Amino acid sequence: MNKLAEGIVKARWLIIIIVLGLTGFFGYQLKDIKLDADVVNSLPDDDPTAVLYTNIGNKYGGNTMGMVIVQADNIFDTKVLEHIKQVTDTVKYIDGISTVTSLTDVIDIKGSDWGIEIGKLVDEYDLPTTQTQLDSLKHRVMSKEMYKGNIVSEDGTSTLVLFTLLDDADKQAVAKEIKEKITKLNLPEKISFGGIPMMMDDVSNLMMVDMRNLIPITFIIIMLVLLISFRSARGVVLPLLTASISTVWVLGIMQLSGYMLNLVSINMPVILLAVGSAYTIHVINRVNECKEKDRRKALIISLTYIIIPILLSGITTAFGFISFVFGAYLTMIRDFGMFTSLGVLIALLISVVFVPAFVSAFSMFKSQKALKKGIKSEDTIMGKMLLTPFSNLIVKHPKYITVIWIAVMAISIWGMFNIKTSVNMVEYFQKDNPTRVIEEIMQKKFGGSIPVFVVFKGDMQSPDVLKKMIETENYMKKYPDVTSTQSVADLIEEMNDVMGEGKKIPDEKAKIEQLWFLLDGQDIMSQLVTDDLDEGIIQSKFASAHSDDAKEFVIYMNEYIKDNSTDDCQILLTGMPSVYVKLNDSLINSQFSSLAIAIVLVVLIVALILRSFPKGIYAAIPIVATIIILFGFMGITGIALDIATVLVASIALGMGIDYSIHIITHFSKKFDEVKNIEEAIKDSIMISGKAIIINVISVAAGFLVLTFSHIVPIQNFGLLVSLSMIGAGVGALTLLPVILILANRAKEQVYKNLDNGLKYIKNKKI
Amino acid sequence: MRKLKLSVLVIALFLMFGFNANAQDANTILKNMDDVMYSPKDMTGKTKIILIDKAGKEKTREADIIQKGTDKRIFRFTAPSSQAGIAVLSLPNDVMYLYMPAFGKERRISSSVKSQNFAGTDFSYDDMESKPNSEKYTPKLLETEEGAYVLELTPISKKSSYSKVIMKVHKTHFYPISAEFYDKGNRKIKEGISVYKKIGNYWNAQEMSMTNLKKNHTTRMIMSDVKYDTGLTDDDFTVRKLKQ
Repeated sequence: MNKLAEGIVKARWLIIIIVLGLTGFFGYQLKDIKLDADVVNSLPDDDPTAVLYTNIGNKYGGNTMGMVIVQADNIFDTKVLEHIKQVTDTVKYIDGISTVTSLTDVIDIKGSDWGIEIGKLVDEYDLPTTQTQLDSLKHRVMSKEMYKGNIVSEDGTSTLVLFTLLDDADKQAVAKEIKEKITKLNLPEKISFGGIPMMMDDVSNLMMVDMRNLIPITFIIIMLVLLISFRSARGVVLPLLTASISTVWVLGIMQLSGYMLNLVSINMPVILLAVGSAYTIHVINRVNECKEKDRRKALIISLTYIIIPILLSGITTAFGFISFVFGAYLTMIRDFGMFTSLGVLIALLISVVFVPAFVSAFSMFKSQKALKKGIKSEDTIMGKMLLTPFSNLIVKHPKYITVIWIAVMAISIWGMFNIKTSVNMVEYFQKDNPTRVIEEIMQKKFGGSIPVFVVFKGDMQSPDVLKKMIETENYMKKYPDVTSTQSVADLIEEMNDVMGEGKKIPDEKAKIEQLWFLLDGQDIMSQLVTDDLDEGIIQSKFASAHSDDAKEFVIYMNEYIKDNSTDDCQILLTGMPSVYVKLNDSLINSQFSSLAIAIVLVVLIVALILRSFPKGIYAAIPIVATIIILFGFMGITGIALDIATVLVASIALGMGIDYSIHIITHFSKKFDEVKNIEEAIKDSIMISGKAIIINVISVAAGFLVLTFSHIVPIQNFGLLVSLSMIGAGVGALTLLPVILILANRAKEQVYKNLDNGLKYIKNKKI
Repeated sequence: MRKLKLSVLVIALFLMFGFNANAQDANTILKNMDDVMYSPKDMTGKTKIILIDKAGKEKTREADIIQKGTDKRIFRFTAPSSQAGIAVLSLPNDVMYLYMPAFGKERRISSSVKSQNFAGTDFSYDDMESKPNSEKYTPKLLETEEGAYVLELTPISKKSSYSKVIMKVHKTHFYPISAEFYDKGNRKIKEGISVYKKIGNYWNAQEMSMTNLKKNHTTRMIMSDVKYDTGLTDDDFTVRKLKQ
């Protein structure tokens, strides 16, 4: 370690040039960095439920469908119809739009005794004006399932302008244009926008706003914390420089490797600012404390001393993040885990290599004056007010502290049993967010917007398959949260009726094939069956957003599928309810299994590097206690386990363990030196404790900034990580010393006896 | 039911015969083109319709066509086998009958929707209307290229799904060479190309193709066995004949 430290100081200029060069290079890549707001993309690509859902969405165009919702007192009014037509035409002529369906532009097929009449429901060039015409339109709309509850709400106060996008369209760009152009129409009706392309635009805007606001706030907060703590320019500049360089590097690498920033990883810069500055804080703190006169030597000594604990803490933190690569269900979380852990490792590298090089190159040592004054930790405000009384209390009353911890843990364990999960993506938006508002309208007026698909694999022109589809649809509609269904079987029934043979599936395949001739090439067909006619879907909507309802529905459907799926007609269920159920199960499973693995591995890593298994265990105790308190807190306050809060425990473990490591290494070295527990504990708390407190404050403050995010799980994530960091810090400064005192009493006694023995021998000789 | 007007288009665009005139203005050019297209008394032939999706995958249909004048025709499918025998009779004043052999009966169909594409092809009802172009459009001569006039056609009916059609007309033979269709947002949405050959006295559209630029989907219609003026009578265009 000594050689490494010397090498770093020697090669300082080379290191500085390389680091700055790479920063310039990666920084240049940032000009092309892109946001990926496609929520559907973030479903994992190795889970059958999610894969089926994504495939269905892509194959049948569901992921490229959007809607404009028009609300008025009464839709059946000439003025309102005119405005609906205006909206329809505006959307129709935007580049990237494939089809548009609305009240003023929808096909109406009427069968009569003499034949078939094909027309538009409303003649867009001759809108109904008299009350009789309007009443007759209303009557027609309300009598057909195809319109009622699908295009016009049952109460006649809302209507949808539905549109699909071309496959190669830039979804976000089209969504943006639609919003801009419709808003410009300045219509008196209430207009809102829904569907995945629209939601993506919302999400991407939220992400941009978050990034613009949160990064500078974090920067300023951490700067203030550092300024108060170190009261020196380098104490502020170097940690922030480390965090900034590592952020630039990791974003550059992300861009180069073809990844995009997503809903979760957009917070990476904020997290790296908070986490990445920590390692530099420890380096600087150590250099400050070193009393060696030759500052270059002091730097080398400090570095030798600090490299191992810093490496260890960096690796464990990175490990906390990287555990998502294996444990998380959503790819956006996996990407986040992967790149954040990379960022942590880069910050680590910068702290131990670049920062010392920088300090020695620019002679940014603490001024000799300050050194001469000999300000000791004990004399600083933090030392006087906090650390000294604190260390006295611990050394004198270890039992009180133990009792308090046990009591808090007991309450937390009780609270853990009330923990909830939340997997409904709509709840991830704040209450007044457009996406959430739309969901409520859709739920109230149009039977929800949560897509449900039942996939049928078999000959789509076979009477048996089509009859089974109708049967399945009837079964689905018996469920209270399902109001309407649509499939090619419905269309065949309708065409059969038009041919004068009644609204049913014909028994002969030949008839179906000929009815198919009438439907071929209709836009709707590509949304219902594949080109090869070997697969088709029932499209439906689920009205409830609650996880429990989704679970119940999936069970209800699976019961039916089990009894009815055959080789010739394979039935599969997918859609958001299925994904929610899967997500819900995996949240809890992955939480506990990955956390357990993480704890074991962290203990082993710590034990290995400190070359003591008990030390590994001691280090883990405060953080495990903190995690129990974290879950208890979530249970008691009702903060649910969701895509982001599920990350907190592992991150807390990876970062919180650092505090223990610093205390344990410090204590061990000092204890070996002075052979006195009390002195070793006091020294550890006074020096390492100071760095820990600064670190807790800066990290917690950094993460607290996330509570200003527009995305609810990110808000909770920020809050919980901050609390965990405080918990881990307090644990390392109270619980851990108590454990160390208790564990080392025997050893101290041995030292004392040894000492007494030596004295005795000495005395005897004299 | 959306197949109905296919025949109209087919007939309208490929019934051609040699014609030579020194047309001066746009109206004359269009009138000459209509004369070229609607001259034969009657026609029989076979057509092969090839649908090509954006992946290049093809689907083929075949049909026999008979037509008298511009407003009576029967379109009878021969392939694929599942659709063989389906036939459509079009009579004046938008009266149409559809016959499906599997049901053994015909249905009368009336349709007022002209902007819709019919079954799988890239031709819309509008495209297939056999109404003379001079009655449908107001022409403007944009330029005179080597070998062709370029006309800008503006639909007379506000119900048309197009804002304009840019059509190239052969300078000496007056048959349409190509057409570009613009929607009301003034974006080019479709492109049509035709290849003509003289059969007897008439110019015949041997192949016509239409590409939907939005969906990148193409329809090719290839004519064969074309015979003109074989003496078809009104009795050949009845519901009874349709069912045979």
